[in-house]
Formats: sequence, structure tokens, C-alpha cells
Amino acid sequence: MIQLENVTKRLGARNVLDGVNLEVRKGETLVIVGPSGTGKSVTLKHMVRLMTPDEGRVVVDGQVVSEASGRGLELIRDKFGVLFQSGALLEWLSVAENVALPLREKTKLSNDEIMSKVVEKLAMVGLENDAEKFPAEISGGMRKRVGLARAIVTNPEIILYDEPTSGLDPVSSRMIDRLIEHLRKELGVTSVVVTHDLHSALSIGTRIAMLTQGKIIELAEPAEFVKSQVEEVQLFLEAQFITVRGEWEKNGK
Amino acid sequence: MAVDVFYSLEEQAIITREPRFFPPTADWRSQLGRKVVGACRDAGRAVLLLAEAILCIRSVLTRRSRRETIHQMFVGGIKSLTVITVVASFTGMILALQTGIEMRRFGQEVYIGAAVMVSMLREMGPFMTGLILAASVGSSIAAQMGTMVVSEEIAALELMSINPVRYLVMPRLVAMMIMTPLLSFYSCIMGVMGGGIVGMTQLNVPWAAYIDNAVRFAENKDLFVGMLKAFLFGIIIVITACHQGFATTQGAVGVGNATRRTVIMSFLSILIVGYMITRLFYV
Repeated sequence: MIQLENVTKRLGARNVLDGVNLEVRKGETLVIVGPSGTGKSVTLKHMVRLMTPDEGRVVVDGQVVSEASGRGLELIRDKFGVLFQSGALLEWLSVAENVALPLREKTKLSNDEIMSKVVEKLAMVGLENDAEKFPAEISGGMRKRVGLARAIVTNPEIILYDEPTSGLDPVSSRMIDRLIEHLRKELGVTSVVVTHDLHSALSIGTRIAMLTQGKIIELAEPAEFVKSQVEEVQLFLEAQFITVRGEWEKNGK
Repeated sequence: MAVDVFYSLEEQAIITREPRFFPPTADWRSQLGRKVVGACRDAGRAVLLLAEAILCIRSVLTRRSRRETIHQMFVGGIKSLTVITVVASFTGMILALQTGIEMRRFGQEVYIGAAVMVSMLREMGPFMTGLILAASVGSSIAAQMGTMVVSEEIAALELMSINPVRYLVMPRLVAMMIMTPLLSFYSCIMGVMGGGIVGMTQLNVPWAAYIDNAVRFAENKDLFVGMLKAFLFGIIIVITACHQGFATTQGAVGVGNATRRTVIMSFLSILIVGYMITRLFYV
């Protein structure tokens, strides 16, 4: 569904992405993990052409997104919903209006239809009682959940999550994890998740990629990932107290 | 040393989040060259931004854009009324006092009305309005756009296929295209009134004579040129502010820099464009 082919991106003197090859399959949840500053968010930005590769190309459903522009780029972007690290909410709009924004701007739905979709999505992220609040009146975690509601309100085929659980309390984090799982299982949504949280990654990912110094150094299913012999992966697992005792099994799979 | 400063229009997205890094150099010619090329590139991008905003203007007729434009007219225009009233009144008073003192030596102080009216209409009204709006509205727009870039709100709009130029720039542009000439005209009235008060109280010029001279010597051309200047100043302020805001990088420091650059560049542009229009119509 999404292919990154030999993507290289330089920022300053540093190769943030250094010949990355990665395929995201339809209907899977690919989780990208790795230390800070290794290009995880930059990888996501290339998928929707918020950044353009210096070398290589990005292909989405057979269309080269890294060369698309104008209406063609809009059509590709319409397949995506994106949850930004900060939520990226417009401060002068209420929670409900933020979620309603893409529907108001891109569809001809009536106000009642829009609001019913908004309420439904807000309920999915547990914020149905906060619809009238403004972003300044809610916590960082709630902002992120509003951002998620906005990302899914148009029912996109692909959702990109940039650190969906960072800054959230454990209960909210698991709720977001469950929601990502629900979207994949029930609606067949393809997801790419960038996170540091390996517990979350192992729980929601169908495959996990480890990105270090601009290169994918490991790409495996969760059960294989935890057994990886790659040193950086082992360090990452140990740092989050994840050890393999016998066969690691993912609940519910 | 190859410095990649000339790149295609395709790469020069108006809203860029791919900063160019140049290696430091001690060579003053390289530094000067980069500054000149950078300034030309900025000017080009600002013109492209203006062109795109003008292409979006027809969407001002939609309900949401109309509401947003009216809101921006209120924020940019009505909220500036107090400061414009004070500054314009005192400018008129100073003009009247300075010219009146000199003209009294020749017994011509009755003509201060003409001097104040013509000065305000041709130059001081639009110029002061432009500077006040650049400092208040322009800096505020730049800070808002810059913060939106830093907090990825602009990226979010783009990904929702909502054109940030149509959604954010166009309503502000239309609002300022309307409000700046109106405020400029208002500042002229306030200036003339201020001058009249000084004429009456300090120079013993009767109010009726003051107003009579003010109206008699002012021409339609003065009003037209003043309004034209104000109209262009409104465009300059919004486009400079939005362009600088969209080009923000480096978080809070970048927002501060964008705001500072907006005020400086708007001031310079207002001065230069003001001179050129005066030169065009009066020489």
C-alpha cells in the first residue's frame, strides 16, 4: 500500500534517512520504533509529502506521492488521516468544530449529519462530554485524543500516528491502543504508528520496524521482534523491561 | 564551495518545512551574496503568496469565509481604532501647531486647515495607519501563523486538503484591503479635527475658516492617492506577515524572529511604496 524506495533525506550535514526501504501492507499496523532523532517522524512526513526525499521515492497505492502536486497530491492525501504529536488543533475552534473541520471543508453534509459523526468519533475517544470546550481548556492527552477523533472522522484508508500515546496516562494509552486495534480489525484501516512505547508497539503492531541512524535495522512481527539478535533492538527492549521468557505471545492473536 | 541557493519553483513551496542549511563562511562576499539572494527569494515567495491569495478571493463569498473576513475586519480594524484616534489627533495637532507658528509670521495662519488636510490625506493618514497596523495587526498575524507552523496546525490543514492560503491568508487580506483605507480616512478626519482644535485654541483660527480652507484646498486626487496607498499598505502588511509566519522555523525563537522581521519589512515596504506612489502621482 505504501512503499518507501531507497529514501534518503538530508537535513543539514546529516542524513536523517539513509536509503530507507520499507513497505506498509494493506490492512496492517506497522509500528516504527527507535531512539529520538532517528527519523521516525520524518519517515511519516514523507508518506504524505510534508517532506520530499532527496533521493528515492514514496509510492502510495501505485501513485508516486513524492512527485505528486496540486490536485493529485490532494487525492492521495485524502486517503490519509494523521494524528500529530501535539494534536495540531486550531485554537480558536471548539473541540467539536476541530473534529468537524474536514467534513465542513470537504463534504456537503448537513450540519446535523456532521455533528452526528463528530459525536460518534468523540465518543470513540472518550470525549463526548467535552465537545464544547476549547483546546486551551483541555489537557495535552485530551488534545491528542481530539486530534485522533479528527484524523478518523473522514474514515480514511490509512492513518498515521505520530507518538499517539506519549504524554497520556496509562489508561488513556491503552484506550488509544484498543482504538487502533479496533480500526484495523473491524474496518481494515492500514496504520503506521511511530512510538517509543514498546509495550504499545508489541500490543498493536502486526509488524515492528526499528529505525536507527536513518536505517531500518530490524523489521519483524512482534513475536520475532522480541527475540531479535540486533544489539540496538535488545537494548531498546531491555530499557523498557521487556524480556523473553520462553515463547512471547501476544494476547488475542 | 557549492552553495545550493538556486532551486526550482517546485521546491520553493510557499509553506516550507524543509529548512536549507548553509555552511558558515567568513567570506563577506559570500555572506552578502546569500543575503541578496535570500531577500530576492523572500520577495518572490511573498509575490507568489499574494497571487495565490488573490486567486482564492472568490471563495470569500462562502458563508464561513464571509464570517471569518468580518471577524478579521473587527480584529484588525475596529480594535485599532483607539490607538489610531490618539495618534492621528495628535499628529494633526502637531502639524497645525508647527505650520501655524511659521505661517503666523506672515499672517497666513488661517490656511493651516489646508496644510493639515492635504498632509493628512496625501501622506500622514495612510502612512500612520500603515505603521500602526503593521506593528499591531501584522506582528499579531505573523506570530499566529508562526505558532501554527511550529505546532503543526498548518501541516494538519494541508493534510486535510484545506488550503492554508484560502483558509487563513485570504480572509485577512480581504479584511485589511477594506479596513486599511477606511481607517486611513478615519485618521485623516481625526487629524483634521485635532488640527482644528489647536487652530482654534492656540492660533485663534475660527473653526469655520479652518474647515472651509481644509475642504477648499483638498482635491479628489489627494483622497484617491491616499486611499490607494492605504489599500496597498494593507496588502503589504498581510502578505509580509503571513509569508514570514509561514516561513517560521526553530520554535518560539523562530516565532519571535518572524514577528520582528514582519514589522521591519512592513515598515520599510510602506516607506518605499509610499514614496513611489507620491513620485508617480505628484511629480
